[in-house]
Amino acid sequence: MIQKKACMLGSFSVGKTSLVRRFVESIFDEKYQTTIGVKVDKKVVQADGEEVTLVLWDLHGEDAFQKMRMSYLRGMSGYLLVIDPTRRQTLEDALSLQERVQEAMGAIPSILVLNKSDLLEEWDIDLDRVALLEERGQAVIRASAKTGEGVEQGFSRLASAMLQFPV
Amino acid sequence: MPEQAQRRAPIAPPEEKSVDGAFEDVSHVVLSPEPKQPKDNDASRAAADAIKMRRDKEDEAALAEALAPTIQATLRESVRTNPHVLADALFPVMGPAIRKSITETLRSMIESFNEALEHSLSWRGVQWRVEALRTGKPFAEIVLMHSLLFRVEQVFLIHRKTGLVLNHVTAPAVLSQDPAMVAGMLSAIQQFVHDSFSSPREDSLDSMTVGGLEVWIEEGPHAVLAAVIRGHAPADYRVALKETLEATERDFGSALDNFQGDAAPFRAADGRLQNLLVTHYRAKREARKPRMAIAAGVLLLLLAAGWIGYVTYEIHKWSEFARSLGQHPGIVVTSYEKSGGRWRVHGFRDPLAADPSLDFAQQGMKPGDADLDLVPFYSLDDSMVTKRARKILSPPPGVELAEHGENLAVSGTAPSLWIVELQERAPMIPGVSHVDDSQLRNAEIVSMQAIVLTFPVGRAELDPGQGAGVAQAEEDLRAIRNYAVRTNRQATVSIIGHTDSTGVEGTNQVLSKQRAGTIAAILARAGVPADALAPRGVGTTQPLRAEDTEEGRRLNRSVTFTVTLASAPGAP
Repeated sequence: MIQKKACMLGSFSVGKTSLVRRFVESIFDEKYQTTIGVKVDKKVVQADGEEVTLVLWDLHGEDAFQKMRMSYLRGMSGYLLVIDPTRRQTLEDALSLQERVQEAMGAIPSILVLNKSDLLEEWDIDLDRVALLEERGQAVIRASAKTGEGVEQGFSRLASAMLQFPV
Repeated sequence: MPEQAQRRAPIAPPEEKSVDGAFEDVSHVVLSPEPKQPKDNDASRAAADAIKMRRDKEDEAALAEALAPTIQATLRESVRTNPHVLADALFPVMGPAIRKSITETLRSMIESFNEALEHSLSWRGVQWRVEALRTGKPFAEIVLMHSLLFRVEQVFLIHRKTGLVLNHVTAPAVLSQDPAMVAGMLSAIQQFVHDSFSSPREDSLDSMTVGGLEVWIEEGPHAVLAAVIRGHAPADYRVALKETLEATERDFGSALDNFQGDAAPFRAADGRLQNLLVTHYRAKREARKPRMAIAAGVLLLLLAAGWIGYVTYEIHKWSEFARSLGQHPGIVVTSYEKSGGRWRVHGFRDPLAADPSLDFAQQGMKPGDADLDLVPFYSLDDSMVTKRARKILSPPPGVELAEHGENLAVSGTAPSLWIVELQERAPMIPGVSHVDDSQLRNAEIVSMQAIVLTFPVGRAELDPGQGAGVAQAEEDLRAIRNYAVRTNRQATVSIIGHTDSTGVEGTNQVLSKQRAGTIAAILARAGVPADALAPRGVGTTQPLRAEDTEEGRRLNRSVTFTVTLASAPGAP
């Protein structure tokens, strides 16, 4: 069975951990995220007719006090870039984060996850900007950790993209 | 994604052509209605080449997909027609694998069984049982905790760059968390420590300790080896880890380099990882085992020997006691036994037999140490009969009693009265059926026959001062005559007159007779019937003394007595 390392990236409190919790089997406590900055979970998904074991590194969200450890990204095959569309700033932060990641790792598969799709009316981001990103080839998905919408698809799409992308 | 497109682009067109050419040849050969005599080896080579080229094009999956149904059908047909062919072919692979699996299972089973068995029987085992009860943990776990020096429970082979698990082995009966997650987290922690505390020399975390567990980590350029160890492994285990990692880096170099997430090639590392799953029990246990076992054995032997010794001593003591008791005349021991913790001795005892309390003392025991159940009886043992006779007859001083097989021999000198009593009572004593009194003398007869009544020279009247002698004679004779009546006999007293040798024999004869007559007259006056008195004179013929002194001559001028007891005329 193929294994792939994938990371959950995004600002503090955008719902990365909620998405993962919705999706994975976990044996570790979430306190690892605050202590060492990461928690590793696992999920087996079907992608392109193949079973893929996703080893998900759920990284602590960046904030004013804690920078993300770039070293945790080493060896990943792809990542979910999660934003909270009700907070405009999270998209900006995510894009600058993606830039840093691309600098270090090159252009590897990624999915931009617009979380909290259940709170659509509260969204505050520039959706035109998102459409532009999509045009340029950035995979985008709307999801809700609360309702489960788009979660499975998000991870499956990432898995599929990672399989097709040779490292 | 342009990169992707670029990478996919290089597909060699000239090769493709040659393959297609070969395939054309083959299809032509197969499909042509009028075959133009193909060369067999050409066609087979073309088929082999075609397959090889297909594989070189990294399109192996398609080839495998195409061939799979055919190969499966072939295998099925082969098994159906002759199962031995496949079985024989697989034998070298399956045989050892099955053997190894069985051996391993048995070994670990026996090992843990032995371990548990051994400890369940020892004192320590009991302590651990208590501990298991107290802590609610299974006994096996407690045993393991105490007896284990170290045990490598899991070994992870991790791809260093991605933190993905390449291989993972566990010791038997060890429960492990999902290795993919553990390996990932282990890499994350590794990374965290490296980033947070790293020294200039690119050092990394090489061990972690959690309670009784240690995780030893060895990092290579491409792979990480992590061993989860219960207990404390020795330093040379680190060397084993290093060597295994080096060998793995060497043997799987390209697989590690090109790792795309498929861990299948690393199954081949199973053997070497299994070798790292070592278990060492406390060496102390082995060293102590014989010592403890010997000590326990010796103690047991000593106890057993002590017990046997004690029992033997006890039995010996009591048999000795019974034997010494039984040696006493008048005591018979029939049996002895221990019941209810006390010894009981059964038998018979003559009331006159020795006191058994002396025997207790002789064996170092107290009379209270045992119950003597001795029934009183009359013993016919000679000494007991003698004792009994002595008690019943109370013989006067100077009289001896001795029993010899139902015959009571009486010797010595006894008064007539006692002799009468003896003859009346002795036959009634148990054990006495006959009394031998041939050695018994009548005290009165002895006394009377010892009396010497002296006379002056040439005269037949008693010397002055002979009254006491006469009175003695009268008293003795009275007793003798009484005795004769009691024993149904007749007593006759010969009164013998003597003279000294002076004077003429004829005169002396007469004188001696006169002297006997004097005494007979005195006795007759005292009431002795004449027929019981037989006076006679012997002159000088039976002198009492030699006459070389005056005293000798004086004693020869005398009268003496001889008493005869004869059966009475009417006696049975």
